[in-house]
Amino acid sequence: MKFGIYLPPKAETAKCPVLYWLSGLTCTEQNFITKAGFHQAAAEHGLIVVAPDTSPRGCNIEGEDESWDFGTGAGFYVDATEDPWKTNYRMYSYIKDELPKLINANFPTDPERMSIFGHSMGGHGALILALKNPGKYKSVSAFAPICNPIQCEWGKKALGGYLGSDAYDATQLVKSYPNSHLDILIDQGKDDQFLSAGQLLPDNFIAACTEQKIPVVFRLQQASCFCSP
Amino acid sequence: MSSRSGSAREYETSDRSPGLSAFPPVPESSESEAEGLIFYHMDLYGSKERFDIFPKELTGQEDRSLGDTRKESALSSEKFQRAQEAGYDLEKEVAELAKMYGLDEDREKELELLGGHLEMVESRWPPARTEKVGSQGSIYNASKSSSPMKDQSQSTKQQGLPGEASQDEEENKARAEDKAESHIGSGEGLSSSGMSDEWNSQAVSEEEAADIFCSTCKMPIRAFDKLFGEHKDHEVAQLPSALESEKEEIHKNMCKLEEQIAQMENFASHLEEIFITVEENFGRQEQNFEVHYNDAVQVLAQKYEEQLEALGEEKRQKLEALYGQLVSCGEHLDTCKELTDATQELYLENDKASFMKAAVTMVDRLEEFLKKEVDLELSTLPDFEERVIDFSEVEQLMNSINTIPAPCAPVINPQAPNTATGTSLRVCWGLFSDDTVECYQLCYKPVSNERSSDEQAEHTLKVKETYCTITNLLPNTQYEFWVSALNASGISPPSERTVYVTAPSPPTIKNKKIRSCENAALVCWESRDINPVDSYTVELSKLTDEENGDTITESIVGIPNCEVLIHLQPTQSYRICIRALNLGGSSERSEPVLIHTTGTYFCLNEDTAHPLLAILDDGFTIACDELENPECDLPVYDNSFTRCIGILGSLIPFPGKHYWEVEVEEDTEYRIGVAFENTPRHGYLGANNSSWCMRHIITPSRHKYEFLHSGMTPDIRITIPPRRIGILLDYENCRLSFFNADIAQHLYAFNSHFQHYVHPCFALETPGILRIHTGIAIPPWTALP
Repeated sequence: MKFGIYLPPKAETAKCPVLYWLSGLTCTEQNFITKAGFHQAAAEHGLIVVAPDTSPRGCNIEGEDESWDFGTGAGFYVDATEDPWKTNYRMYSYIKDELPKLINANFPTDPERMSIFGHSMGGHGALILALKNPGKYKSVSAFAPICNPIQCEWGKKALGGYLGSDAYDATQLVKSYPNSHLDILIDQGKDDQFLSAGQLLPDNFIAACTEQKIPVVFRLQQASCFCSP
Repeated sequence: MSSRSGSAREYETSDRSPGLSAFPPVPESSESEAEGLIFYHMDLYGSKERFDIFPKELTGQEDRSLGDTRKESALSSEKFQRAQEAGYDLEKEVAELAKMYGLDEDREKELELLGGHLEMVESRWPPARTEKVGSQGSIYNASKSSSPMKDQSQSTKQQGLPGEASQDEEENKARAEDKAESHIGSGEGLSSSGMSDEWNSQAVSEEEAADIFCSTCKMPIRAFDKLFGEHKDHEVAQLPSALESEKEEIHKNMCKLEEQIAQMENFASHLEEIFITVEENFGRQEQNFEVHYNDAVQVLAQKYEEQLEALGEEKRQKLEALYGQLVSCGEHLDTCKELTDATQELYLENDKASFMKAAVTMVDRLEEFLKKEVDLELSTLPDFEERVIDFSEVEQLMNSINTIPAPCAPVINPQAPNTATGTSLRVCWGLFSDDTVECYQLCYKPVSNERSSDEQAEHTLKVKETYCTITNLLPNTQYEFWVSALNASGISPPSERTVYVTAPSPPTIKNKKIRSCENAALVCWESRDINPVDSYTVELSKLTDEENGDTITESIVGIPNCEVLIHLQPTQSYRICIRALNLGGSSERSEPVLIHTTGTYFCLNEDTAHPLLAILDDGFTIACDELENPECDLPVYDNSFTRCIGILGSLIPFPGKHYWEVEVEEDTEYRIGVAFENTPRHGYLGANNSSWCMRHIITPSRHKYEFLHSGMTPDIRITIPPRRIGILLDYENCRLSFFNADIAQHLYAFNSHFQHYVHPCFALETPGILRIHTGIAIPPWTALP
């Protein structure tokens, strides 16, 4: 698996906190590193940024390249339980355990401080990872995340394909999130086509969080384009 | 008795050097002294002669002490003697002694003495000899007091010459007999005779030493005597203890003597000073006299001149008168002459008709002329009137020599710095001349611009010194002072008027208007005086853990206005006071104010509050009870909000970051944020470009939050309604951030370059309460954007 990593100047002399970026559908480990322009901010704040790939590649699983929103480039950050995906498609464990272990062993990281954020599918990934691992991440931010996958087309397709359950639905997870000590920031473009298409469903998430008293700040931005950041 | 007279003289001469008899040649004129003359040295302070002088003073005292003195000196001389060479010319010594004590004529005695001496010499050890000499001298000088002698003998004893004791004993016995007498001579005589008598007996009593002291007879005796002798019933004491007490006695007297010495020295120096003063006074009187004399002489001369002139005038007048007379006389004569000539001529006229004609005319003329009276009286007498020089004025002058003139006007000193307080002034003045002054009259009144009654506020005091402290004055007020000097002759003209000014009253710090942040504070105050002061001084002291909060750590002077921006250290506490200054000095400190440089501190500007907004007692809680008629008729200040039920906090004029918190209730609708000073009071906070605020509205379905500026807000959902909102104002990074302080959640941040300093602002949109918390250190979780 490839991943991109940005090391700030501070990393030369001290251990830095790590920010994991989960990209959205069709992205690779390059998109964020290449296009996002986060480097200056990361340098200023002394943050290491890790951008993993969105799915395993070249697994030779039948149908993996068939759709852009399922299979290659669409790992949905779950551990698949269904065949033929369950052997290779374990993005959840990868992001949760494997990757941090690798990063912490080879780079000057502060293992106590890590946060997670992502876009769209990556946003969903960030949310579920944070919600399923209370206390692991200091903060979670999501850009136009898929908040309630089991309710939307994408989710239904992906989760239905990879899993048999809704164990990876952020909205569902929130409903049973044990402790409210989590800082969630969601930015959503107002004119996002997918928002209007009902793919993202942030309201559901917010409602669930409000009920559960999970602190979320949700910003509806003027951005119209959904393009990957 | 010759001995008596001799003794008198001896007394005096022996004064000179009682103990000095044992000393080697003494610089005084003891050898050259003529009989009957007493010489006292002019140098009063020569140590050797000290004892010479005092005995005169000591006549009033006990002779005992005198004897003590002598004994002491004899003792010391004795010791000194011992320090000297053993071989001593005894005879010379004795001869000297004898001469000194006037024994010269009394050769018999002398010989006796010498004989006695010689006897002693033969039977005693050499040191004893010298000692004896000393003691001999002492004997002659002593009136009584065997104890000093005892001392000697004791010391002798101690020196290991026990044999002496008995002899001394004898001597003492002799002296004891003379105890009551003040005539030394008799004592001497007796003693001398006694001595010679007892020389022989000494040989007998030699073996037994005196070892106890008879207090009754005041002499050492042998124990044997106590038991069997005349001392049987007397009080006795052990010799050593008796010795001690006698020594003490001597010591006391020595101390008294030293006191005397000091006193006399002081007196002598005082006398010296008096000498000088006498000279000064003389000089002054001389001058005074001269002046008066000159005045008198001048007056006299003037009188003389006057009279002389008058005399001259008189003469002139007389002469004039006489001259006048002479002139008229001359004229008369001329006329007579003329007539005579004419008549003569007439006679020469031959023509009878013409003659008759002329003659008739002539006769008429002559008759006419002769009718005139001839004044042959002197118009003026040659004698001059009596002139007397009027001495009365001179007499008066002479009489007034002894009267002192009225003094000249004194001079008031300009106000000395730091001598004034808010209610008192210390005025000082001086005399320009050497006038004698009994007292001064000081007058003063407040200086005012009005022309109204000057007398009203004028005060007068009589003062003896050249200074006076006036109290009960008004602060920061100018007073005019003038002073006159008084003595028996009258009062001087008043001095020039000098203005003094009292110090100002301490100002009052406006507690409610203080603003501070981590590294600065803005303090303002007001003066309590009507008139302006010159400047203000700020005194601030940093409070540390120690009790000592009085150490001033910094003073800022020369502040022209009633406010100051002070730079401080973060997280410290300071006590700050203000003083007002004027020419008179500095006021007392104002009431202090405590400033803590933790977080940012500001107050609410009451005069910006909407009428429906109430500020509760602690000054940091605002409440709105009712919303009826937000645009109401209640009194509105120029500066208050009229529509938005809001209030501004004080300006935060310090750069950097500032943080405060607002506690809200779940159902309160509010607007909180910052605004410029000029934000429109008729507008709503956030609706214009001079204010930024977070707004909370409750809709039926949920809490709605807006972050307003220029009427615009992003669309924001917040799942947990914050109860305690943290506001971070960052001038430097141009950011205003809002947080849910309870969970350290960042809510929103405005990025705006604030062109001016801003005020915190608060408004209520439903009845409710907002509690504002200041002075909080910036929490660390606000750090990242």
